[in-house]
Amino acid sequence: MSDVVLEVRDLVKHYPVRRGLILRRTVGAVRAVDGVSLALRRGSTLGVVGESGSGKSTLARVLVGIEEPTSGQVLVDGTDVSTMSRADRRALRRDVQMVFQDPYTSLDPRMSVSEIVGEPFAIHRTIPRGGRDRAVRELLELVGLDPDHANRYPHQFSGGQRQRVGIARALALRPRILVCDEPVSALDVSVQGQVVNLLADLQAELGLSSVFIAHDLAVVRNIADSVAVMYLGRVVEDGPADSVYDGARHPYSQALLSAVPVADPTVRLSDGRGILLEGDPPSPVSPPSGCPFHTRCWLAPTLPEASVPVPEGEEVQARRVPPSCSGEVPLLVGAGGHHAACHFARPLAEVRR
Amino acid sequence: MTGAAPLLEVTDLAVEFRTPGGVVRAVDGLTYQVEAGRTLAIVGESGSGKSVSSLAVMGLLGPTAHVTRGTARLNGTDLLALPPREHRARCGQDVAMVFQDALAALNPVLTVGFQLTEALRARHRISRGEARQRAVELLDLVKVPHARERVRDYPHQFSGGMRQRVMIACALALDPKVLIADEPTTALDVTVQAQVLRLLAEIQAERQMGLVLITHDLGVVAGVADDVTVMYAGRAVEQAGVLGAFRSPAHPYTRALLQSVPQLGSRTRLPVIPGRPPGPGDRPAGCPFHPRCALAQDVCRADPPPPLVEAAPGRWSACHFAGDVLRGAAVPAETTPEGDPR
Ligand SMILES: Nc1ncnc2c1ncn2[C@@H]1O[C@H](COP(=O)(O)OP(=O)(O)OP(=O)(O)O)[C@@H](O)[C@H]1O
Ligand SMILES: Nc1ncnc2c1ncn2[C@@H]1O[C@H](COP(=O)(O)OP(=O)(O)OP(=O)(O)O)[C@@H](O)[C@H]1O
Ligand code: SF4
Ligand SMILES: [Mg+2]
Ligand SMILES: [Mg+2]
Repeated sequence: MSDVVLEVRDLVKHYPVRRGLILRRTVGAVRAVDGVSLALRRGSTLGVVGESGSGKSTLARVLVGIEEPTSGQVLVDGTDVSTMSRADRRALRRDVQMVFQDPYTSLDPRMSVSEIVGEPFAIHRTIPRGGRDRAVRELLELVGLDPDHANRYPHQFSGGQRQRVGIARALALRPRILVCDEPVSALDVSVQGQVVNLLADLQAELGLSSVFIAHDLAVVRNIADSVAVMYLGRVVEDGPADSVYDGARHPYSQALLSAVPVADPTVRLSDGRGILLEGDPPSPVSPPSGCPFHTRCWLAPTLPEASVPVPEGEEVQARRVPPSCSGEVPLLVGAGGHHAACHFARPLAEVRR
Repeated sequence: MTGAAPLLEVTDLAVEFRTPGGVVRAVDGLTYQVEAGRTLAIVGESGSGKSVSSLAVMGLLGPTAHVTRGTARLNGTDLLALPPREHRARCGQDVAMVFQDALAALNPVLTVGFQLTEALRARHRISRGEARQRAVELLDLVKVPHARERVRDYPHQFSGGMRQRVMIACALALDPKVLIADEPTTALDVTVQAQVLRLLAEIQAERQMGLVLITHDLGVVAGVADDVTVMYAGRAVEQAGVLGAFRSPAHPYTRALLQSVPQLGSRTRLPVIPGRPPGPGDRPAGCPFHPRCALAQDVCRADPPPPLVEAAPGRWSACHFAGDVLRGAAVPAETTPEGDPR
């Protein structure tokens, strides 16, 4: 058996755009995920970062089987999930758990926290009824919540407390694979550290493998073994975490890393630090031709290749990029497991020379 | 704090919930003020009462909650002394809030465009067509791609970060004098976050809006805040200008929090403050932070510290040893026993 526990190949998830009240005509599609291939290794953490609206949550929902892909495959332990028997799929629902991005709406408001966290035990009958209360208390303690609050309802908790209820629930069945969608975004940095360290411990002790989606690049750095950067439904860069963080090769990843706010009050946002992205994020309903990033890429207009003569009869664009950027979709290429989807991929140090 | 009259001034606010398990004191003596054109960041422990106190100011607490103490003066008028209806009407006029739970705050069965249009029409005397136009402009402003098309979508069709931006647009539609933004950018990538924060700063400068920014992101605080209030266990434990708060924290909790900020540079096990924060029901005697405080002395275990004392000009702290902490002491000088090996 290979050491890849979870893999997606050419994954596509489109949502139909419907218009009209009576006749709901399909007039297009939101290309939420548009051809993503990723692999999660046993006992490791894959960090997924990227643009807001780039399809991270959609990817997560397809990974855990809440949504069906439009095309492409999801493989668990090398087996295509769509070919599995019902019994195998049921077992899979236990082995693969998800922490949802929205801690408010993902918890049933009519259930007490002990019911929410204990529900997986009841469904999968892994722990006899008598032992469930203790198991729930243990789980709450593990995520830093007061076990005596087990009888409270979700609305009686703060945002960060609810987020931890979601984590406790996902851990209840000791899953093999955990897909976390912004699991620590509502936590103060100390509690956040506790949760991240807990996940690291589970990884070391139980061989847990996880996908960790987050906008906080520093948190991802401290937990992920490998990283994928998404932009407009695609992975634009992936590789070992150190390699991507220390030597990002895609202009989008470089912009993202440069914009991380630092906890230093002498560095003000108004000083305009970092690489600024111009223009508006494009729509996944009608993504740009060629490289999806070319409409906002900071590198493309600076390249000598951008100043090719304009063909007769064509308008001169105010913002000119190399013809390959607007014409050809760049593939994920690279060496040493570190890939970037850019025709001109190179480390920032080389660009700036 | 510049000494100008504050726009919004919260003093000694306390909020309790009556639950079957007893009384939960969620906020227990919170004081802060925000001035026109300035940004106050409220940071602190998860569950320390940041959201509940904001809802109290807005008059939006549920029936099980009671404000038991304190005032919230908006331009001098105590909102908490007004009858509930008038309280909410005043806030509708002058104070807007971006709620932490963007999805729950949006109505799932109405389109995003309709909700924004209604917000606009509630505040401004404009036609539906005009409001629709403004709604699209606002969504464009907060960088929702393809806004003209997407106003017809329902909230569940938006990504987490897009919903947050809708909430910000809704609040801006109200043209508030004070904006309370509760974790408004947690679902945004750092480039969009920077754009949205810049937009807020622009609007703030233009309209002299006071901004109360609740966030766990200390990078954001460092980048945009003028003043900082740090909360722990329902109360403000430190209040300072942003430079002071980061450079020389005057409360051990602030110091420990800053030391827990994850670093981008390399992979390490994250530093954390040992122990669990006390729940509203089981706050310890003395200083609520003492079981987790590296500096705690006998007096900390016995006596509650003063609410907020001025340890140095403009530097307020609720710690028995505020002055020592401010000067960077590892152990408070006054109480170190003679010959203690520490
Ligand atoms: N049920 C749906 N119907 C239509 N469009 C959808 C649906 N769910 C998501 N989308 C769209 O798919 C795109 C990707 O959304 P997704 O939630 O996966 O983004 P994300 O990367 O998780 O963003 P964020 O960081 O803001 O949470 C967005 O344009 C979103 O509006
Ligand atoms: N309806 C309620 N009934 C009982 N307790 C409640 C209720 N709502 C909130 N609380 C408690 O009040 C305290 C303060 O909650 P609040 O939501 O203000 O925290 P917060 O500082 O916003 O935290 P976070 O950063 O996690 O959002 C928490 O301990 C919470 O459990
Ligand atoms: S392919 Fe061109 S437009 Fe795309 S990221 Fe590279 S340089 Fe920029
Ligand atoms: Mg998402
Ligand atoms: Mg909150």
